[in-house]
Amino acid sequence: MATEQILKLKEKANWVRQRVLEMITTAGKGHIGGAFSCTDILTALYYGGILRFQAADPKWIDRDRFILSKGHSAAALYVILSDLGYFPSSELSRFQKENCILGAHPSLKIPGIEADTGSLGHGLGIGVGLALSAKLGKKDFMTFVLLGDGECCEGSIWEAAMFASGRKLNNLVGIVDKNSLCSTDFLENCVNMEQLEQRWKTFGWDAVTVDGHSLEELVAVLSQTRSRQSEKPLMIIANTVKSKGVSFMEGKPEWHHSVPNKEQFEIAKKELSEE
Amino acid sequence: MTPSNIDIRDAFFDELYNIAKNDPRVILLVADMGAFSLVKFKNDFPDQFINVGIAEQNMVSVAAGLALAGRKVFIYTIIPFITQRCYEQIKIDLCSMNLPVTILGVGPGLTYGNDGPTHHGTQDIAIMRALPEITILNPSSAIMAAASMNIGYKNSGPTYIRIDKGKIPEIYNQNSDFSDGLAELKNGGELTVIATGIMVHQALKAAQELNNQSISTGVVDLYRIKPLNKEKLSRIIDNSKRLATLEENSIVGGIGSAISEFLTDNGKTIPLKRIALPDQHCFESGDRESLLAFYNLDTNGIMKTVSEWIKK
Repeated sequence: MATEQILKLKEKANWVRQRVLEMITTAGKGHIGGAFSCTDILTALYYGGILRFQAADPKWIDRDRFILSKGHSAAALYVILSDLGYFPSSELSRFQKENCILGAHPSLKIPGIEADTGSLGHGLGIGVGLALSAKLGKKDFMTFVLLGDGECCEGSIWEAAMFASGRKLNNLVGIVDKNSLCSTDFLENCVNMEQLEQRWKTFGWDAVTVDGHSLEELVAVLSQTRSRQSEKPLMIIANTVKSKGVSFMEGKPEWHHSVPNKEQFEIAKKELSEE
Repeated sequence: MTPSNIDIRDAFFDELYNIAKNDPRVILLVADMGAFSLVKFKNDFPDQFINVGIAEQNMVSVAAGLALAGRKVFIYTIIPFITQRCYEQIKIDLCSMNLPVTILGVGPGLTYGNDGPTHHGTQDIAIMRALPEITILNPSSAIMAAASMNIGYKNSGPTYIRIDKGKIPEIYNQNSDFSDGLAELKNGGELTVIATGIMVHQALKAAQELNNQSISTGVVDLYRIKPLNKEKLSRIIDNSKRLATLEENSIVGGIGSAISEFLTDNGKTIPLKRIALPDQHCFESGDRESLLAFYNLDTNGIMKTVSEWIKK
């Protein structure tokens, strides 16, 4: 992808983060940390020419399926879906408020959302079912699933991993937003999550590690996913920083679910607009 | 009542075979669970039969993905594994998304007698009943078993079916209509026993003996536990002096609880005796029949419970 286009993607990612900051601050609740760590990944998928979709026809039968398995990062996805025309941007300012379609976690009731998520460990199995159906029906849509590394503690992820490689689902792409934090702590203080790429390979997947904030690297690896010759599903380990983009939030467990006060909001907004 | 020549489990799967034969969208997932009648299914429809391995959570999520892509999915294994092990997947992936997946749980109550509490299906009605979108069926005969597969197949949302095993007397005919959710098999003004699953047969035997003792006893087969047919249930209750519920499930949260809730919510004051398994795990050794006798859920035990209650 040309440098100019990459620059545009970076600008878009920044714009998304600013909208997320506004949404969560206005709502008084939400998950900034996880939304910011995966904003570049979502930007690459939706604006980098990776996903096939028709916003005017959300249920278009041949669309690629994207599942946000780490559902708490929904705010970033909502901003993007709204920007693409799935629903009016007026909904964003009412995020989590009465009668708003946008709850803290994604629901099938929202145009552009493919599955209810929020409890971790479900999305990969659902994605496996979608990819399996495509294989059985000889459909060429791809299925993408975004996971958290904290989510990889869930045993159901590894049940799905074994089954997907066993069925040779090379139309399935997983992405781990590896920000090294879970909800309340550093992941390494809870479990051993070392050599994550190797673990997926051991489970029969192709796996590759990229910088999850490099739109060049993300677009490069994602744009190859449709033409891969391998029989295996692909897992992309995206190294990220939780709360990426705001210096005082980056890598801090407390920003998993904290809401900035007025002063913090102004600092964060300034930092994001200067990037 | 004529003895059935067909194992009720075969009746389920023979019908599923017919459904799958006519609709390539139908797919059966099993979590390393077989049945004699499934061999033909597996051989004839290899693309519609998948053993996902011993991974029930994944089976439910995969079923959801398949259903989201437009398939009609059936999933099968033993009751505690397919209800309790993966309850949250059922809650979110199937019920919250209201997907057409039929959950086939084999082994109601103490079917797997000697296998112990790990294999007993004694709390499934309670927990599955708490899920808003689900239809729950507990068939009492082979003809109803076949019909229930079609109810699941045609349902636009999730269905849970308790699959029994063994040869069970037939009480319906091929023209029976199961859209009501319950069937009044016997009228009785003094006492009405509302039973479900194979306990319907115990209820019929007990009713016969109670009628011989001049206690006019009716029997209702509550084969659809959720949603309840409130209108019909109300009419039956209003024509009875006493009610008993009979089920092979824990006393906590089963059909006894469902009926009790129904009475309370509708201001109906009628004596109710809930007959079920006790609120405990069963470590007794024995087959299903002997364990049911141990817990007074055989005909003699039911008679004893009812007689003592009525005398009070």
